[in-house]
Amino acid sequence: MASVASKLYSDDVSLLVLLLDTNPLFWDTTSTTFSQFLSHVLAFLNAVLGLNQLNQVVVIATGYSSCDYVYDSSLTSNVSSESRGARMPALFGSLLEKLEDFIGRDAELAEGDEHVDRIASSLLSGSLSMALCYIQRVFRSGHLHPQPRILCLQGSPDGPEQYVAVMNSIFSAQRLMVPIDSCYIGTQNSAFLQQASYITGGVHHAPKQLDGLFQFLTTIFATDLHTRGFVQLPKPVGVDFRASCFCHKKTIDMGYVCSVCLSIFCEHHKKCSTCGSVFGQSKLDAANASSSVNDRKRRAPDS
Amino acid sequence: MPQVKIIAKNFMDMVASLTAIKLDKLYNNVFICEAILRSLPPLAKKYVLQLLFIDDPVPCTRIEEWVLPDGLSKHRVAIDRLIQLRIFTETVVDRKEGTCYSLNPTFQKNLQKHIISGGVLPREPMNSNNGIKLPSLQELETYALQQWECFLLQLINSGQGEKLTGISSSMMKVFQRGLLSQRDRDGPRLTESGFQFLLMDTNAQLWYIIREYISNAEERDVDPADLISFLLELSFHVTGEAYNLNTLTDVQRTTLKDLADLGLVKLQQGRKDSWFIPTKLATNLSVSLADSSVRKEGYVMMETNFRMYAYSTSKLQCEILRLFARIEYQLPNLIACAVTKESLYNAFDNGITSDQIITFLQQNSHPRCADRVPSIPENVTDQVYTLYSLLPSRVIQDWFIA
Repeated sequence: MASVASKLYSDDVSLLVLLLDTNPLFWDTTSTTFSQFLSHVLAFLNAVLGLNQLNQVVVIATGYSSCDYVYDSSLTSNVSSESRGARMPALFGSLLEKLEDFIGRDAELAEGDEHVDRIASSLLSGSLSMALCYIQRVFRSGHLHPQPRILCLQGSPDGPEQYVAVMNSIFSAQRLMVPIDSCYIGTQNSAFLQQASYITGGVHHAPKQLDGLFQFLTTIFATDLHTRGFVQLPKPVGVDFRASCFCHKKTIDMGYVCSVCLSIFCEHHKKCSTCGSVFGQSKLDAANASSSVNDRKRRAPDS
Repeated sequence: MPQVKIIAKNFMDMVASLTAIKLDKLYNNVFICEAILRSLPPLAKKYVLQLLFIDDPVPCTRIEEWVLPDGLSKHRVAIDRLIQLRIFTETVVDRKEGTCYSLNPTFQKNLQKHIISGGVLPREPMNSNNGIKLPSLQELETYALQQWECFLLQLINSGQGEKLTGISSSMMKVFQRGLLSQRDRDGPRLTESGFQFLLMDTNAQLWYIIREYISNAEERDVDPADLISFLLELSFHVTGEAYNLNTLTDVQRTTLKDLADLGLVKLQQGRKDSWFIPTKLATNLSVSLADSSVRKEGYVMMETNFRMYAYSTSKLQCEILRLFARIEYQLPNLIACAVTKESLYNAFDNGITSDQIITFLQQNSHPRCADRVPSIPENVTDQVYTLYSLLPSRVIQDWFIA
């Protein structure tokens, strides 16, 4: 069930923004190495670029504490000096270079980070925002732009402290009518990615075997937005809609909600920390007081 | 415009009509496999990608399960196309599973190679250190446009063309076959298909000319498969880079001279070498192989008082507008016209339909107008359709018994 109005597309020119998870804390724990994973992804990108001459691909690397653009197929400076003849970025030389630089810088930033007991999540909110900014620029560039979509390739678990930022990005994507596809390759379920795909009308899939990742990617995620109207794609089975509280960033099922700005808290507060509205504690006291007065009044005739 | 689509698609039909041996020879070239992949309808592209690394034949019922019920017609179109081009071969493995499809092995191998390691063109661009002065991309585009318009103006035999292209008159006659009709008294006039040709967009016109050129190739003892493979390969070169002529065979060199007259490449000569530079017309060839919608900047603004303003300086576009509108005056950057009853009747007499006029206006509408819904005012479209529908029934000839 698509909960978003989708545009009608007449051709299959697409802009794919790929958010690549490079979190070293996750890649240390998997059986597939990062380079094997990368070979699947690069073949997939080649396939997408080969489908249509006007297709574009942008890759944003999501690290532990930073994210950055590593590849943009529409920039002509990608063509390195050895392969000047090929417009096809066959071996993605510049992508690999920039990825290496990025991972080095990310590791340096992470060394200064003191939060050892933080969940080893990657900065999904940052890369989603960067992707949406890029797409907004494409929208403003004029009429003839390819149809954009975002694909998150993620393995790290969700970081509840990013809940607010991620939900804001998801709602912006919904308003821009940009679907967010997600391919989760980790062990636990990712509530953020499920919600993102559900709300924006994208496809969520968690492949079990990473050996066949290329086949999953080309079967499901290479489908352009025009073809999705008449092709069977994985449907959301059960979406985890749990939120995190705004005060402690814990995932909660039941909590208190501010009636003005809809922020979620796990325990009772006197004042909302987001919008500053005072919760009616005096009314609560008055209700308590009147009920005790009634009790006394009722008991009086008895005694 | 169904008729126009047939003309543009005919290039792929021509490829599909080659014999199996010739097609296999074509599929040996990695770039041709890529170009043909790009020319397929979107659903067919998806099927090819999904079956790319699968070696066993896949039952066709399994493939049908991949589409939703309202996509079955598109599914049939895609499968027919794939079988026509011999990319899918039908086999019956065992009676239980019914017909299965498998990918053409040469095609499959080459496409796999292309996706994993990319392709290397048979020729490298020349080093700019050799003292070659390359034209800028802007100059190249102006050159290509000039050449193409000159060619088109000469094609429709209009007196507006200032200089003649280098195409021999016999070659011109081949192109004009079907577009112009010979009339002894008045000189050649454009036929119905000629008018429709003028209203097509540039890429469709280019493919039409190329198709005629290739069908004529056999008379000149040139193998059409060679020409097709050279043309498809050309679309993968980089716009604006120089490639040495000594990397080409003789056949390719003569073809290149003809293509230079069309504006697809620019030939230049240095002291020792001569080289060619592909223009945007050449590198955009593979974009328009598929039936996708047109993507280009429009220049026509249609107003509700039936006045039309075209922001163009091109003589060719002026001629095209003259087909169905009355040109009022021309300013340095603007052509002001009016769509009148007489001009529309003139167009209908020449065989242009109302659909073609409306589609032409919609596809070429200025970006400011294209933002509006509808891009052409409703009273204009209504009037064009009404006049067209009234045509045959205005006056009926019948016998009168006095």
